[in-house]
Formats: sequence, C-alpha cells, structure tokens
Amino acid sequence: MAGTLRKAGRSIWQTLSSIKTGVILLIIVVIVSAAGTLILQRPVTDPDEMQRAYSPQMLRLLDTLGLTDAFHAWWFVLLLALVSLSIVAASIQRFPNAWRFYARPYKSPDETFRKVLATQKQIAIADEKAGLAAAERAFQRMRLKPEQVAKNHRVSLFAERNRISVMAVYIVHASLLLIFLGGIVDALYGWRGFVALTRGQQSSQVEMHDGSGHTLPFAIRCDGAGQENYADGSPKKWWSNLAVLDGGREVVRKEIVVNDPLVYRGIRFYQASYGSTGKVDKLILAASPAKGRGDAKEIALGENDPVQLDSDTSVRLAEFIPDYVVGDGQVYTRSRDVENPAAHLIVESKSAGKAVNVWLPPIPGFEQNAASPYTFEAKNLQMGYFTGLEVSHEPGQWAVWAGVILMGFGLAVVFYLVHMRFWVVPVLDARGRLVLWVGGAANKNKDAFEERFQKLVGEIESELKVRSEAQIRVQEEETSLAGA
Amino acid sequence: MARARVEQQPATTGTMLVVLVGLGVAFLLFMAFLNVVKTGNLLNESNLLYAALIFYAGAGALYLGFGVTGTESYVRFASLATWAGLLANTGAVAHRWYEAGHPPFASIYEMLLSFVWTLAVLTLIAEKKFGVKVIGTVTMPVAIVGVVLMQLLRTDVHPLVPALQSTWLHVHVTLAMLAYAACALSFALAMMFLIQDKMRTETFLAATSAFGVATYAGILTRFEKWGGLSVAAWNPEQKSEVFLAKGVRLFVVIPDLGFLMMMVLAAVAAPLVLYLVSRWKQDESLINTANRVVFVSILLQVLALVFFLLRARDGSYGSLDAEGLFPTSLAASPFILSGLVGGIFVSLLYLLLLWRREDLERMLPSTDDLDRITYKTIAIAFPLLTLMIAAGAYWANRTWGSYWSWDPKETWAAITWLVYAGYLHMRITRGWRGRRAAYFAILGFAVVMFTFFGVTYLLNGMHAYA
Repeated sequence: MAGTLRKAGRSIWQTLSSIKTGVILLIIVVIVSAAGTLILQRPVTDPDEMQRAYSPQMLRLLDTLGLTDAFHAWWFVLLLALVSLSIVAASIQRFPNAWRFYARPYKSPDETFRKVLATQKQIAIADEKAGLAAAERAFQRMRLKPEQVAKNHRVSLFAERNRISVMAVYIVHASLLLIFLGGIVDALYGWRGFVALTRGQQSSQVEMHDGSGHTLPFAIRCDGAGQENYADGSPKKWWSNLAVLDGGREVVRKEIVVNDPLVYRGIRFYQASYGSTGKVDKLILAASPAKGRGDAKEIALGENDPVQLDSDTSVRLAEFIPDYVVGDGQVYTRSRDVENPAAHLIVESKSAGKAVNVWLPPIPGFEQNAASPYTFEAKNLQMGYFTGLEVSHEPGQWAVWAGVILMGFGLAVVFYLVHMRFWVVPVLDARGRLVLWVGGAANKNKDAFEERFQKLVGEIESELKVRSEAQIRVQEEETSLAGA
Repeated sequence: MARARVEQQPATTGTMLVVLVGLGVAFLLFMAFLNVVKTGNLLNESNLLYAALIFYAGAGALYLGFGVTGTESYVRFASLATWAGLLANTGAVAHRWYEAGHPPFASIYEMLLSFVWTLAVLTLIAEKKFGVKVIGTVTMPVAIVGVVLMQLLRTDVHPLVPALQSTWLHVHVTLAMLAYAACALSFALAMMFLIQDKMRTETFLAATSAFGVATYAGILTRFEKWGGLSVAAWNPEQKSEVFLAKGVRLFVVIPDLGFLMMMVLAAVAAPLVLYLVSRWKQDESLINTANRVVFVSILLQVLALVFFLLRARDGSYGSLDAEGLFPTSLAASPFILSGLVGGIFVSLLYLLLLWRREDLERMLPSTDDLDRITYKTIAIAFPLLTLMIAAGAYWANRTWGSYWSWDPKETWAAITWLVYAGYLHMRITRGWRGRRAAYFAILGFAVVMFTFFGVTYLLNGMHAYA
C-alpha cells in the first residue's frame, strides 16, 4: 500500500516537474487568457451590455463556467497555482545538479573529458613547468584569473568567468514566484475602493468596489481640488489638496495629481475623477438697502449658511437650482449642470418677525422681491466640486516590484553573461610527445567564444615562443662564451 | 532554371531598374518640391514623412527588383535608399517631438512613426552587422504600409490627457517599440531561415493562402445582409469616427462590397484547398494549378482594393443603426485597408519566392547563422518585452492604483511574453533549432501584431487611446 502510494507520489512529482507539463499548462493559460479578453467580462462591463451581447442561455452557460469573470474564477487561480507548482517542481528537480555544477566547478579534466570536448588544442612544449608558466601569463593577459590545480601529483590550470550564469535561470524562476506571491497576497489581503470628497470635507469611509464599506484607521480631508484645461478645452490636469488626520492631528499634506498619489500607512489615494456636485459652494452677491442710502456690500453665501446684513436682518440661501424650469406650480431643475441657474434667498427681519422670499432671477408667482428690505445682485457663483479618489491597499506589491527587479537582473545574466571555462593540462600526446592540452567551454554564444579561445591559444603560443627564443639566445651566448 | 534566366539577362537591365527607380524618386521629390515652393514650408513633418515614404518605396522596389532579376547591385542601392528614408524619418520624428513637446508615443499615429523608424534602424543593423542583405525585402514593405497608414490616421498633435503625463509613458512605449521592432526582425529572419532551409515552396503557398483567408475572413466579420460590408462612419469635420455611445462606433453599409470580398476569399482559399488535396491524393500537378490560382487571386485582390478605394473614399451610405446617410472615408477603416494591402503584398512575396529562390538563397547567410541571429534577436526582444510590461505595470500602479487589471492589452502582452518564454524553454531545454524554432518565432510575431493592432481595434479597454 505504502509502496503504491509512494509510486503514485513519485509519478505525480515527475509529471509536475517535467517541461512538457509546464508547457501544456502555459498553453492552457494562454488559451484561457485569450478567451477572457474576447468574452465580455462582468467586472468591467455594463450588465445591460452583457444582456445585449449574449442570449440568456449563452450568458447562463458562460456564467456557470466562470468565463464572464475568467481572471477571478477559482479554476483560473488553480491554474496559476499549478503553473507555480510546476515551476517549483521543475526547479527543485534540476537544482541539485546545477548547484553541484556551481558549487564544485570541474577543474581538472580527465582523459574522457579531454577526448570529447569540442573546443580544444594541443601545443607542443619542451618543459612542463615552463609551459604552464607561459599559459599562466597568457591567461593573465586575457584578464582571466588562472588557478593552479594539483591532482594525482599533476599540476594543471583552470580559469573561468561568470559562473553565476549557470544559476541565473533559477533567479528568473524565483523572481516569477515572487511576483506570483505578491499577486496572491494582494488578492487575499488587498482591497480597492472609492471615496468622493468636496472641499473641506473629511472622511474615513471608503466604498469598496463590491458595494461594502471599509473604515480607515485615519481620516482624509480635501482642502481643495480643481481642473486645468488646455486651450482646446480638453482636460490637462486634475489636482486635489489632501490632508491626512490621524489621531486628530494633521500628519501628512500633499497635492496629488493623476500620476502622483498620496501614500499613508500603505494605503494609496489616487486622483480618479473630478466633477460638479450640482451644489453651490459660494454665491457672491452685492446687497444694497432697498430704502434710503447705504453702500452695497458684498456677501458670500453658502447653502443654508445665514449671513447677517445688519443688526436686524439676515439672509440665507435656501435653495439653489442649477437648471431651472417652472411647471405645475413648482420650480425644479432639469439637470445638474449650471445652465439656467436660479437662487432662492430668504431674508429675515427679527424685529418685524417676517421672512421674505427673494428669487434671483425674479420668478413670477414665487418672488416677493419688492417686499425685501435689501436688493441683491448676483456677482459670482462658485459651484461645489467633488474630487473622486481611488483608494487601494496592496501589501503584496513590494514582492511584485522586487520580483520584477530580480527578473530583470536574472534575464540580463541568462542572456548576456556567458559562463566560460578554460583548462590547460600538460599531457603526453598519442605519439608520446609532451604537449599542453588546452580546452575551453562556454554555455552560450559559442561562435564568439571560439574566437576568444583561438586568441588564448595564440597568446600561449607567443608566450612559449618568446620564452624559447630567450632560451635559444641564452644557449647561443653560452656556446659563444664557450667558444671564446 | 531560374539560374539560367539570370544568365540570359543582359547586364544593362540591371542599371535599368536602378535608373528607373532613381528617376521615379527624383520625380516624386521634384513634384513635392514644387508643392513646397508654393507653400514655402520645406521642413515640416508631412513633407519629411512623404520623403521617407518615397525612399522606403524606392528601397522596397529595388529589393523586389533584386528578387525579380537577381541583380546584386540593386541591393546596394536599396540599402542607400533605406538610409535616405531613415534620415527623412528621423527628421519627421524630431519635428513631431519638437512640435508636441513630448516624444512621439502618445497616439497610434505617433507610435507607428516610432515603430517604422525603429524597424528601419534594425533593418540596417541586420544588414551591416549580420550580413542579412535582403532582409529589407520583408521589412521595407512593412515600413511602407506603416507610413501609408500614418497618412490616413489623425495627425494633429493632441495634448496629453492627465493619465499620459508621465515619464513612465515614455519608458513603457519606448521599450514596447524596441521590443516589437526586434520581434518584427526575428520574424523576417525566421522567414529567411525557412527559405534558406530549402523549405518546400508548397508550404509557403499554403501559408500565404492561409494568411489571405485569415485576412478576408477578418474583413468579412463585417458582412451584412444582401452582400454589403459594414465600415465605420467618419465625421470629416472632427476627423474622427462617429460614435453612437462611448466606445460604440456607427457603421455604414457599402452595398455589394461584401459579395466581392466573398469572391476574393474563395480565390485566396483555393490554393490552400488545392494544396491539401494534393497532399491527400499525392498529386503534384495540382500545385501547378494552385500557383496559377495565386495569379488570379492577386488580380482579384487588386480589384477588391481598387473597388474598396473607390467606394469607401468619401462616399455616403446608409446605416442599419441610424436613419439617414453618413459619410465614410478611408481613414475610418485603416485596418481593412492594411489587410487588403498586406494580402497583396504577401502574395507578391510568394511569387518572388517561386521565381527567384536560388538568387535569394545565394544572398542569404547559412541556415546556422540565420537560426543563431533569429535567436539573438529574440534574446534581445524578450528582456525588452519583460521590462515593457514591468514599466507598464508600474505606471498603471501610479495612475490607477493597480499594477495588473487583466485589461485586454495587458493580457495580450502577457500572452506574447508567454509565447516567447515557450520558445526559449523549448530551445534551451529541448534543443529546438531550425524550423520548429522558426515557426515559433513567426507565431510570436503574429501574436505581437495582434497585441499591437488587433487589441486596439477589436477589444476595448484602458489602452483605448493607443
């Protein structure tokens, strides 16, 4: 029983770690993702449009299969999990070999290796020590650090470069897992919501995209917001002045624009939208006394925010109608756009104990403008605007960015760093002559490596030649001395 | 046989084409110059672009001329013309940059401008550094189609909407253009590899035919009742498509065009059918018939193009969705147009291959070299793709508060990335070389093109402005 279990386990492991499984999984991911872009997705589509695009049966089928929200379906998550598992398994399967290769570099080549190596050359030498010394100098000239390796009473040379290239593929795979990890953390613990603020308003309530609410451990306040336009009227910039209030104190203050969010305690506030609330922020009026002389004074009215005109009289803005029409004995608005505005003011006199309805402009049947102790003239109107803030919390993003940087590094090493190895061993060739066996290996870009290898061989040969010429000269001098 | 024909060619015909193309280029430049003298503005963007178009077209003609006659000096002149075109193209890019105050990456027009520029640069690099002298035969027509498309698209400088005002836009799009151009180059190299690898002409025939079928099937998704074809309506004053609602274009029906497209579809599909039958029946003679059908299909394709140009250019037609007549314009259907032009171009390339195979093979590096260079370009393209996606994600995170939202463009970029990742895995662990690798490179580029064009026009999403 245990045996069969172990066997099954091993076969599952082998299937999971094979390249074939990995590629098949990737193909499935590709197909499903492509389908997800072709079929309308619920999170980003109007429900009406879904109804229009598909027949009810079709829609029911797609919904059941999860294809209308393919990227958040349980089976898509499972698929990504399988891909991760496959990467992990394939890496674990291959890692020990690669690690052995990395940790214990092959420094002294044996006879079989010397026979089969593709890139090699033999250089005849007279003396083992002198030959190795020449090779050592040649290595240094090629900016390689030669290492003397002694094995079985035989000394040979070894040099390499960019050994990390062997491990780079694991770096890339690890980085991919790191990115996945970040994604999973965000899917589990991250959230996204929306908050709309008018000037001066503060809030710690975020409306989540699924309709629920979320309370922040601090409050955000909007101190101002606005839009700047290009000459042709298209928007150039949206901005909001935000302040964070934590524990009753203002801790951060920042003007955010579209590409520059405010971040506080891992929660980000983005400029997402901007628009009119349809309500008045400030109505500037010139008020002058109806009887007698007196200077007109300028007052600023907010909605239901009374202003004292003199010791006895006050005025408040009872109602502001951005786009008014009169009908059925009522004044009502057609839209939220300031097209045809009307203001309803109530002027109260304390001593007389009466309130007068003043309409700007005067609307017959409603206005009592003539009875008002003051006349009003509209000077300016500032509408209230709200700024829409996208709020998001993505605790996993740091893993994602770390993964991205690691992947960039890993890919650079994988593609552009060549692991090259060189060996020099003094041996006896087939005819029994003493030669330097020079071998080289590279894990990529082999044609360029071949050139480098030939250069190394050339360097060794020229080193040997210099040496032997020097020796010959010494010998000649000796003979000439002897002759003298 | 082809070799024999080369030897029969008198040497003078070689200079003939160069002189003709030279005269043609000179004539067009002269005409343009007259126009310039009238308006008194020499170095503006459209003039530079026009010059680039002329030079690229000259280069394309010379490359094709080499294909037809096998005269090697053409290639040298073609290379010179490419240099001249690149110079003018650089001028156009610089002018645009100066005028707009930002690098030309903000609209599909500006991105095409940068893409064509990068493609020309890479063509010259492939030619000089890697010795793939005839690569322009494939890349120059792509550049020509790009420049022609640009003439149709909206060219006015748009101010950047707030979301696009970011350095990351430039990083993201620069990387995308470099990566896509490298992918285009790897595609051209893979095609060259297949030619040099003595792949049978019939296979190219089938592929050409399949490409045509895909193109016309794509166009015919707009087929309407009674043989009409829907094209987007165009508002000449605003120079933009007419929208019924946000993201919903108004379509008008050009009568009879649908039937014509059906006919062409049948003609381009016939070689594929004949090829399959010949495989099945082991009958080689059918291939000859198929080759003859290719001629017919080219004629029909040209007919369809001419008909489309005549009917869709500044015509007015009724719509199924709204009352009244609405104008349309070539600018409203850039993708039908490029599909038609692309189909003709691919068929012509096939004829070139049929006639001048030996000459092409003589001019190309060995299969091993081509295979290696293809891999090298992908080894450049893949990290660029990775960084492009990363830069896009980072920018999205700064703008929308989410680094990944499964937007169609994002998803397709990821699919492209996965396809090339698959290529690399198969090559490195399974030792895939040669043909299979070349097929993969071609598939990769097909996905790139879909990501670049298809997603923009067929699927809606956050990348709607590009």
